[in-house]
Amino acid sequence: MNLINLELISFKIALVLCVVSTAGYLLSLLVKKIKLAKISTWILSAAFVFLTVNLLFAVINFSGLINPGSRDFLSLCAWSVCGAYLALQFKTKTRILGVFISPFILLFMIAAAGEASGKYLLPQNLQSRLTAVHLFLTIVGEALFIIASCAGLMFVMQNSLLKNKKLSRMSRLLPSLNDLDRINHICLLWGFPVLSVGIIAGTVFAGFSWKAGWLTDPKIIWTFAGWIIYGFLLHQRLAIGWKGYRMAVISGAAFILLLLSYGSVRFCFSTLHNFI
Amino acid sequence: MILLIGLNHKTAPIAVREKVFSGCQEENDLLSSLLSLTGVGEVLYLSTCNRVEIIASVEESEDAVQSLSDFLARNGGLTPVEAASCIYKYYDKEAVRHIFRVAASLDSLVMGETQILGQVKDAYRQALAQHATGVVLNRLMHCSFRAAKRVRSETAIAVNPVSVSFAAVELAKKIFGSLAGKKILLIGAGEMAELTGTHLIGNGAGEIIVANRSMPQAIALAEKFHGEVVSLDALDAKLIEADIVISSTSAPAYIVTADLIRKIHHQRKNRLLFLIDIAVPRDIDPAVSLLENVYLYNIDNLQDIVDENMNVRKKEAIKAEMIVEEEITRYVSWQKEQESVPTIVSLRNKAEEIVLAEMDKAAGWIKNLDKEEQEKVDNLVNSIVNKLLHTPVAALKEESSEFSSKDIVATARRLFRLDD
Repeated sequence: MNLINLELISFKIALVLCVVSTAGYLLSLLVKKIKLAKISTWILSAAFVFLTVNLLFAVINFSGLINPGSRDFLSLCAWSVCGAYLALQFKTKTRILGVFISPFILLFMIAAAGEASGKYLLPQNLQSRLTAVHLFLTIVGEALFIIASCAGLMFVMQNSLLKNKKLSRMSRLLPSLNDLDRINHICLLWGFPVLSVGIIAGTVFAGFSWKAGWLTDPKIIWTFAGWIIYGFLLHQRLAIGWKGYRMAVISGAAFILLLLSYGSVRFCFSTLHNFI
Repeated sequence: MILLIGLNHKTAPIAVREKVFSGCQEENDLLSSLLSLTGVGEVLYLSTCNRVEIIASVEESEDAVQSLSDFLARNGGLTPVEAASCIYKYYDKEAVRHIFRVAASLDSLVMGETQILGQVKDAYRQALAQHATGVVLNRLMHCSFRAAKRVRSETAIAVNPVSVSFAAVELAKKIFGSLAGKKILLIGAGEMAELTGTHLIGNGAGEIIVANRSMPQAIALAEKFHGEVVSLDALDAKLIEADIVISSTSAPAYIVTADLIRKIHHQRKNRLLFLIDIAVPRDIDPAVSLLENVYLYNIDNLQDIVDENMNVRKKEAIKAEMIVEEEITRYVSWQKEQESVPTIVSLRNKAEEIVLAEMDKAAGWIKNLDKEEQEKVDNLVNSIVNKLLHTPVAALKEESSEFSSKDIVATARRLFRLDD
C-alpha cells in the first residue's frame, strides 16, 4: 500500500467519524442527553487523529507545506476548528458546544471530499513559504473566531432561558454562562494575534508580489473587516471590561454577518483569492 | 419465608419513630438479640430518620412474626394499640417489593433522594459483619442494590433538585459553572438563607459575608461559616464584591434597587451576578432582572422550578416502579429455584448411594478387569445416572422458577422416595 492510498484512507475514516460525531452531537441536542455529546467528543477526537495523519501524509506526498492541494487546504480548515475545539475541552467541559462546532467541521470535510485529489490550491505565482504561513495562521485565527462566536450564540440561548426563570432540560444541557464567556475570551485572546500574524504574512507577500490593487480585493476587505471586529471585541473585553451578554451578542452577530458577507463575496465577485 | 416488619413516616408519627429508634439503639448487640428469637434464621436491621425496619428470613410460623413484632413494640414502649396501628408486616413477595422500593428511594419522604441507598448498604454491611445474613438475605440485598442502581441510571428520578435551596445551587452552577471562589452575600440572617448558604458552601463556594440589621444574629451566623459581618450600611460596597446574593430580610421596601445595581455594575467589572430573593415582601427590585448579566430569582420562581422537578420525578417514578417489578420477578424466580435445590441435592445423593451399592456388589468381577476397562465401566455407570437424572432435575428447576415449586418438589420426593 503506497503513501497516497494511506492518505486517502485516513481522510475517508476521518470523514466518516466526522459524520458520526456530528450526528451524535445533533442527536444529543434532540434527546437532551449529555452522555451522547460526550461520546461524540471522543469520536471527534478520533477524527482529529485521522485528519492529522491525513495531513502528515499530504505533506510527505506533495511537499504540501508550500503548495497544499485544495482538498488538503479544506482538511486543514476542518483540522484547525476541530483542534481548537478539542483543546478547549481540556479547559472547560463544555461538550455540547460541539453541536454548533461539528457541523462546520463536517462542512469543511464534505467540501474537501468534493475536491479532486492532486489539484493544487494555489496558482504557480502564489506558491511560497510566506503564503503557507499566511494560509495556516489565517485559518487557525478564523477557526478560533468561529468557536468564540458559537460560544457567544450559546450564551445568548442560555441567558434567555435563565432570564425567563426556566431551568428546562435545554438549560441543563447547555454549559454554564461563565464557561461560555470564558471560551469566548480564550478564543479572542488567542485568535486575534494568530490572525494578525497571518494577515501580516499575507500583506508582506502581497506587497512584494502584487505591488498594487490588492487592497481593494473583496476577500481582503472581508478578512480585514473580520480582523477589525475581532480587535474591537478584544479591546472592549480587555480595556473596557465588557463581559457576558454584550460580548456574546456582538460576537454572535458579527459572526453571522461575516458568514453572510463571505458567502456573497465568494459567489458574486471574482477576487485575487478565488482559490478559497 | 421473608418477613419485613417495621414502621415509617407514613404509619407512625415522629414521636413514635423516635421511641422505637432509641429503644432499639439501646439494645445490646441488637442483631444477636434478633437472631436469638424463635424461628429467625437471618436478619437485617435498618433504621433511618424516617423508618425502623427489620428484614428477616424466618420459619413459616406465627411465632417468628409475633416475636419480631413484640421486639419492636417492647423496645419502643408501644402499647398494643399503638403497635397495631404503626407496625406493618410484609411477607415474601410483598416484603421483597418493599425493600426494593425503599432502596430505590420510591418509599422515601422525598422521592428520589439519594441518601437512602447508602443507609440500606450500611445496614447490610453491619449485618454481614456480624454474620447475621445468609443465602436468602444476601441475595435479596444484592438484588435490591441492583434495582436501586437501575432506577438511578435508567430514570431521571434523582436528577433534578426538589428543594428550594438545592434549586438555587443548581441555578448558581448554571450561571457560574464551578462555584469555587465565589463570594456569597447573605442579606438578613433568616433560616432559609442560612440553609441555601450552607448548600452553596457545600458545593464549593468561597467566602460568606453576612449583612444584617441585628449584629448579634449576623455574628452568630457568620461564625458558623467563618464569614465576615457587615452592617446594612456597607451593603453597596459588599454588593461590588459578591457573586451570589441571598436576601431574606423583613424590610418593608426594596433593599437592593435597580439603580443601585446599575450604579455598581461598572465597578463590578460587569461580572455575572446571581440574586436570590426569598423575602416576602420582596427585598430586591424585580427591575434588576432587566439588567445585563444579572439573574434574579424570587421564592416563587424557585418554587416553580421545584414543582416542575417534582412532576418530573413523579413521571419517572412510573418507570422506576416497572424496573422494581422486573427485579422482583428475577428475585422471586431465583427464590423458587432455591426451594427445589434441597430436593435436587437429595436426588443426586440417592443416585450416588445406589451406584456405590451396585458397584460394591459387582466388585467381584470388576476387579478382574484391567484398569482401562474398569474406568470404562465407571464412566458408563456415571453417564447413565446423569442422563437419567437430567430430565427430572431440569424439570424441577424450570417448573420451580415459573410456578410455585411446592407441588413438583413434593411429587419428586414421593416419586423417588427421598424422605424414606
